[in-house]
Amino acid sequence: MELLNQIDWAVIAPIIVIDLILIIVALVDLFRRGETNGPKWIWLLVILLISLLGPVVYFIFGRRQQ
Amino acid sequence: MEWITLFNKEMLEHWRNFKWIWVPLVLILLAIMDPITTYYLPVILENVGGLPEGAMFEIPELLPVEALMMSLAQLSSLGVLVIVLMSMGTIAGERKSGVAELILVKPIRYLNYITAKWSALLLIVWVSLTLALSTSWYYINLLFGELSFTDLLLTIFFYGLWFSFVITLVIFFSVISRSPGLVAAFTIITTIAMSIITSLFGKHLTWSPSNMSGHIEYAIVSQELTKDLMMTGLITLILIGILIVGAQQIFIRKEQIN
Repeated sequence: MELLNQIDWAVIAPIIVIDLILIIVALVDLFRRGETNGPKWIWLLVILLISLLGPVVYFIFGRRQQ
Repeated sequence: MEWITLFNKEMLEHWRNFKWIWVPLVLILLAIMDPITTYYLPVILENVGGLPEGAMFEIPELLPVEALMMSLAQLSSLGVLVIVLMSMGTIAGERKSGVAELILVKPIRYLNYITAKWSALLLIVWVSLTLALSTSWYYINLLFGELSFTDLLLTIFFYGLWFSFVITLVIFFSVISRSPGLVAAFTIITTIAMSIITSLFGKHLTWSPSNMSGHIEYAIVSQELTKDLMMTGLITLILIGILIVGAQQIFIRKEQIN
């Protein structure tokens, strides 16, 4: 608990918010999209489990080029 | 008129791809990550443990300008990678899928087609970079000490030129290759080659675009707009111009052959 008190949450909060926005936008896109580049459930895991990098990797590689 | 239509089409496309959301957010994260981690390094080390009892760790205080350079270092490596991957498909992808042929069947000037795409990408990159560096600037002022607003503007402007140069490279290689992957690879290799050549022949290549971050740091430390920084900016602009005109010429020849 001591660790949690030492951290200034005003500094860290924006990072968490940005991470959440990225995850939500990636999920919205994943569910609206008919087909992805590879199985959807893998992308779901990638987006949810790999912090920060997951949604970005999905945005760059997950979507099929028209 | 024709240019505006093409430009609007690009903007719509970037909205649909959520690029307007994720590119700024990712660049912001990259820019603030290192300064914040460094600031909390003592706390992290203390809690992770593993240090022998009584071990003292002298972590030097970071100057605001050094923290800013940490942001630029992240943007120069991962940031460049992100903007290259984000933009690699804009022309190459359309040429591969045949959309480009559909558009260019109409009597559209090649220069309009290229510059509309180029401008749309530049707009995203400049807005994202401004947001990223402003956030970093805010944190640096909070955690490390004062860095003036003019320093921020100077950094955004000159570093933006470097990012613009990278985007221009992507556009240039998109005209040469139809594969988005190759376009990204060529661009990354070119920037790496440029920085290697610049460090090898540093004395003669002071104004190489690869030196932009260094010149920005020097200008902030010395608190004056150095000649080196201005010349580097000018050289970068000239190279951007040459690449765009070159891309147009090659594009005209390639499409006429087809």
